[in-house]
Amino acid sequence: MWQYQKKLQFPVNIKNPDPKAAKIIITQYGGPDGEMSASIRYLSQRYSMPYSDLKGLLTDIGTEELAHFEMIAAMVHQLTRNLTEEEIKRSGFDTYFVDHTAGVYPIAASGAPWSANYIQSKGDLIADMHEDMGAEQKARATYDNLLRLIDDPDIREPLKFLRAREIVHYQRFGEGLRLATDRLNSKNFYACNPSFDTPCGKGTSCPS
Amino acid sequence: MSDKNKLMRMIHAYDFTILELGLFLDTHADDARALKSRQQAQLKRAELVREYEEKYGPYILTSDDVMGDRWSWIDNPWPWDYRRED
Repeated sequence: MWQYQKKLQFPVNIKNPDPKAAKIIITQYGGPDGEMSASIRYLSQRYSMPYSDLKGLLTDIGTEELAHFEMIAAMVHQLTRNLTEEEIKRSGFDTYFVDHTAGVYPIAASGAPWSANYIQSKGDLIADMHEDMGAEQKARATYDNLLRLIDDPDIREPLKFLRAREIVHYQRFGEGLRLATDRLNSKNFYACNPSFDTPCGKGTSCPS
Repeated sequence: MSDKNKLMRMIHAYDFTILELGLFLDTHADDARALKSRQQAQLKRAELVREYEEKYGPYILTSDDVMGDRWSWIDNPWPWDYRRED
């Protein structure tokens, strides 16, 4: 289960609303490499993990992603507060505004709504862990791109924090994959599904 | 920044340290240094939370806290609200 803590993981307090920035930052809320994709991916994948340390890792990182999901929403919310009709038209926020006013809705910067098509839960440790490492790098690249386009330090500081978290998560998933392969037959790392095939460990041959 | 917010920020920093060491321990479960650091961070955090609560009331209001004659869980600010003074 989860319990809500009434705080953000890292402070978000943006003095100047900026609907143009909100329109691109929202991609980390509901875009392909956003925090919602990350959280649902990891929290779904953990059920087919055969090893207890990877169950823990996916649970803990998936939970942290929920906190990041909330930070991004807080940023979008603060960036779109107290807008005038003129600001909405001028900033290009009108295309979002017409459907959602200043509500927070999970879409990509391009406007595509969040979709489970962005993620996979393959039920295969090797496939899932590789996807997770790729996902962290894609999210890091998205934060890099946002930081190229945004100057306001009030917006940059939380984005920089989130970018750094992607790098740490990549490192941890890499270690997780190594811990898993250490338990497998090196001849079969990529020819066997340790989440489904048994036996699939050291000293065994691939079932297929 | 007020003393109250400074103390709050320090507790948040320890919250983060504890989470980060937890992730590290997920893939290094026997690392004695990390285990010790996490224990120390938890003790330090508990100390700071005690100090905060003596001075200012609950550090984090949980939905289990019932204090006084009002259900203050629902009170502003919520974490996503902009706060002028921080």
